[in-house]
Amino acid sequence: MKLRLYLKDKIYLIILSLFSYLLMLMIFLAFKILPEVIISITCIYFLTLISILLIPYFRKKNFYNELLTNIERLDKSYLVLETITKPSFYEGEILETALYDINKSMLENVKKTIEQVNNFKEYIEMWIHEVKIPLSSLILAFNNKKYLDNRIKGELERLDNYVEQVLYYVRSENAEKDYFITNVNLAKVIKNVGLKNMNYLLENKVDFRVENVDFEVLTDAKWLEFILGQIINNSIKYKRNINNSYIKVLANSNNKETTLIIEDNGIGIKKSDISRVFDKTFTGTNGRERKSTGMGLNISKNLCEKLGHKIEIESEYGKYTKVLITFYHNNYFDVLK
Amino acid sequence: MQKIMIVEDDEILCKELSVLLLNNSYEVVVLKDYENAISEILKIAPNLILLDINIPHLSGEILLQKIREKTNVPIIMVTSKNSEISEALSISNGADDYITKPYNPNILLLRIGAVLRRVNRENNTLSYKNLKINISKGIIQVEDKKVILTKNEMIIFAYLVSHQNRIVTRDELMTDLWNNNEFINDNALTVNISRLRSKLKDLGYTNLIDTRKGQGYILS
Repeated sequence: MKLRLYLKDKIYLIILSLFSYLLMLMIFLAFKILPEVIISITCIYFLTLISILLIPYFRKKNFYNELLTNIERLDKSYLVLETITKPSFYEGEILETALYDINKSMLENVKKTIEQVNNFKEYIEMWIHEVKIPLSSLILAFNNKKYLDNRIKGELERLDNYVEQVLYYVRSENAEKDYFITNVNLAKVIKNVGLKNMNYLLENKVDFRVENVDFEVLTDAKWLEFILGQIINNSIKYKRNINNSYIKVLANSNNKETTLIIEDNGIGIKKSDISRVFDKTFTGTNGRERKSTGMGLNISKNLCEKLGHKIEIESEYGKYTKVLITFYHNNYFDVLK
Repeated sequence: MQKIMIVEDDEILCKELSVLLLNNSYEVVVLKDYENAISEILKIAPNLILLDINIPHLSGEILLQKIREKTNVPIIMVTSKNSEISEALSISNGADDYITKPYNPNILLLRIGAVLRRVNRENNTLSYKNLKINISKGIIQVEDKKVILTKNEMIIFAYLVSHQNRIVTRDELMTDLWNNNEFINDNALTVNISRLRSKLKDLGYTNLIDTRKGQGYILS
């Protein structure tokens, strides 16, 4: 609270007082009142005026300053009412009660929304477990009928991937839940991802080339499988119409970190789009042409951040796309073993 | 014949799973009485149990612990709970393997085969007619004539031999190859099979691998 601004706010009171003082002075002069009397009345008048102006200022200043600085210092500024001393003046009390009521109704609303979101998440998790049962039956049924059309198996793999995507979206939003970091062999994770997408890869005639990936990294194997699944699905989706489409998977390791590289010779990403590929629902030119939710890479990035990995993307439009995932080594974990 | 028990409450899934296992020459029993699961399991004495985590009356995880108190029968947990924690929990409770729904049927069969092999300690030699097959050395032998197979050719031939009384689809062969880190494409599979055929011919077995058009391959 600033004195200058406060006084500016009270300008009408000051002008009115000065005006009435001038009137008074004119009356005193007209009746030829003694100068001593005029001086003492003037003193009393101005002392009173100053008191009327300044006493409320000092009473209010403490309250408002505390309120403002605490709002600025708090990370969650809606908790400010819990941190200030109660105001000792009427307007302050009105303000405090009003703020308190507003806060309360806002918190109730937020709580209701959080509850709704949580219920929805729980429902989605349950729904995913439910929907996987008929999906399992279908896959088995096709297999039992010796149905040789791999297109259908490929489509079922794709369907499973989309269902999985929802599951991991929900998981990426709840930080605490469900991850478990251990020493994981990259070759094993890549084998599982390959098997899971085998028919989809073969059906689209995309070669899956795995080079030296026999490294141990600290991660959650299931999450990593999902992330790689998303990347491979993107590579298949955005392949070029050429005969030798491939996805190449390789890894480099030094004593600080291990980097996994997934490279394809697909349509690539335009320079103008590349900085935004990890944004939520960003589809870019490619996504508009080949329909996409734009969520796969966003979820992958969130999961990578939670696991402490770095994910980057490099591309040349019309030539290739390269995704790099960096796993940092952690000596602390070795010590714990 | 190996007896496999299915513990799964979804009827349609259970039926399809039974068909899959029967087609692959396993004997199938389905657990019906969930309330007295333990005594029924002990009575039937299966060679392997496929155990679902979401089952009526008690959870699969508790049933797993209870079975482990009584017997060492191999158990594969089957679940739609896809998380590293529940996998680690199942394994530490004594499950031999863990597979998530929806599973690739060929992978399920490979896992079942692997667990049963581990338990029965099968050695890694097979034989077919006069052929002696040493999988780890990659050699097939007839009397004193022998040929060396590449890793891919051996995976294909071993799979055909261990499923010799039925047609093997290309999809199954492909899955077994990928499961062994050989991520080959359709053309490469065709090439591998024709090389395998010519190697078998060198041993005097022409047309040992018969192609059934639109279905797959069978040993004749």
